[in-house]
Amino acid sequence: MSIISVKNIHKTYNENTVPVHALRGVDLEISEGEFTAIVGPSGSGKTTLLNIIGGLDRPTEGDIRLDQTELSTLNENQLIEFRKNNIGFIFQSYNLIPVLTSKENVEFVMLLQNRPKKEMETRAKELLNAVGLSDKLDQRPAQLSGGQQQRVAVARALASKPRFVLADEPTANLDSKSTADLLDIMAKLNQEEQITFVFSTHDNRVIERARRVVTMVDGKIESDETFNR
Amino acid sequence: MLLKIAWRNIWRSKLRSIVVISSIAIGVWSLVFLLSFSRGMILTYIDKAIENQTSHIQIHNPAFINADVDKNELERAAFNYLSDPDEIEQTLSQYEEIEAFAFRSYAHQTFLGVAGKTGVANVFGINPEQEKLVTNIHQQIIEGDYFESQKRNQILISRAQAEKYNIGLKKKVILSFTDQSGTPTKVAFRVCGIYDTKNQLLDQFNVFVRQKDLNRVLNIPDQSHEVAILLKDVHQSDEIKAGIAAALPSELVRVYDEISPEIELFNVQIELSTFIFTFIFMLGLIFGIINTMLMAVLERMRELGMLMAIGLNKVKVFQMITLETLLLGIVSAPIGMLIGYISVGYFKQVGLDLSHFSKGMQKFGLSEVVYPVSSVDMYITFGVAVLLTAILGSIYPALKAIRLRPVEAIRKV
Repeated sequence: MSIISVKNIHKTYNENTVPVHALRGVDLEISEGEFTAIVGPSGSGKTTLLNIIGGLDRPTEGDIRLDQTELSTLNENQLIEFRKNNIGFIFQSYNLIPVLTSKENVEFVMLLQNRPKKEMETRAKELLNAVGLSDKLDQRPAQLSGGQQQRVAVARALASKPRFVLADEPTANLDSKSTADLLDIMAKLNQEEQITFVFSTHDNRVIERARRVVTMVDGKIESDETFNR
Repeated sequence: MLLKIAWRNIWRSKLRSIVVISSIAIGVWSLVFLLSFSRGMILTYIDKAIENQTSHIQIHNPAFINADVDKNELERAAFNYLSDPDEIEQTLSQYEEIEAFAFRSYAHQTFLGVAGKTGVANVFGINPEQEKLVTNIHQQIIEGDYFESQKRNQILISRAQAEKYNIGLKKKVILSFTDQSGTPTKVAFRVCGIYDTKNQLLDQFNVFVRQKDLNRVLNIPDQSHEVAILLKDVHQSDEIKAGIAAALPSELVRVYDEISPEIELFNVQIELSTFIFTFIFMLGLIFGIINTMLMAVLERMRELGMLMAIGLNKVKVFQMITLETLLLGIVSAPIGMLIGYISVGYFKQVGLDLSHFSKGMQKFGLSEVVYPVSSVDMYITFGVAVLLTAILGSIYPALKAIRLRPVEAIRKV
């Protein structure tokens, strides 16, 4: 069953001046537990598609259904609530809260969900342990390497127990070793805990590990391939 | 956690936060000191006025006080004395809260002549021993003595008058009165002492003679125009006044700020200047805060966008910015207050010597050494003002923050 259902999505920027058509009728179904990479050259619309799937942006036209929820029916505050409880985000530039430690960064999302303090602490430690950072609990982002920061971001994305994780170019700023480590962690979480991952990327190292690769060109899906990896 | 983030955010840009905190603290300090200084100056004036002449409460015949400035009326006013001095004395003796009281006679705007020079004086007829207990003119004698001789028609004049008329001790002063029958009378008094209260407003006009001498000239034996009352505690003035007024319905009973309207004026001035200074300070502060917090928001757009993306709602974003601003105020205001408290405390002990400017100040009865006076309500006012300003100043940056669209904010570098 599809956890993400995108139907005939269009997105046009600058509608009133010089229109830029970022998406031109995209249809996509993603099932629970998939490990999907959306690939394509710069300007192909992959980040726009990811933002729309994540409820950060609204399509100009078309429907998007996440699980059983039609996103167009939600107002701004409902969207924030929906994101908080259903979607985990991993950003290209890590985007951790610089004044909080690794553990506090992971706990923060659970705090927004009003989880008990004890539970937050235990889960944060578990997650940081799972991403190999059990010895960096009290370090702030500035004291961590790029790879380590992105691993904290993965732990944070999973802290809220989301239905799926959206990762926008998660390896763009990482070296080969960090990229390999990060992909190992995400693949393991995907296989063992059935967490759905959707990446936007043009990094071959990610594409090689993805079990489904959706290729976009000029705002349209050009190919959609599944691999048995 | 929001509090923790807000607190740590303040220290992300240490230099900027220190500059803001310092400027708020210096602002609060200067306000505390400036207002404590002006309050001290005015309270010294009030204390001096009370000590030298006014005392805490005075009783008069209402007609005496209501006399117009017209010369004839003022002359007639001399005959509007207290209706029953014995009853007054009896009433006042019942109050334990009263430290002392003194009966006085009084002649408004009397012509004073010395060796061809003339001027105007307010003549107080006092009972020297009684008066000693109520006011401290006897301590302000700089030459001669305070009615030590029992001779008739002795007069105390001020240093200002001595200089103006160029007279000294033992010299004669002619005072012109009109008695009850309307007959003008000139009487010679001999200078027994020269006083100096440092209040030129008072010293310019006031002369003191024995009450029995003045009463004899005015032909009002055993009468008095006023009773000056000194209380053990100034704060009981209104309460005691009400009691005396009820017991003596035919007399006019007034407390010190009713007697000397300038005291009331000064009190109003203290309140008004507190308000104006606080307002100007808040106005300056609010722009400083808006500027600082706006910079903080603009610098953190990506982070704010991320927070909103992962589920921090707009109310919480608003709270976070406001909390950050409030914390700046909560840190800086007490520092300013503490420095203010210490500096006011220091100068309260040693006094602030303004003798370079004191000539001008003395003309208005102000002391040359000022002892600043602060009060708890002053600190509370400034504390509330800073926090209120911080909240007001945070509104615009906080609105700016919640208007961010996460998808756009995340892309900002």
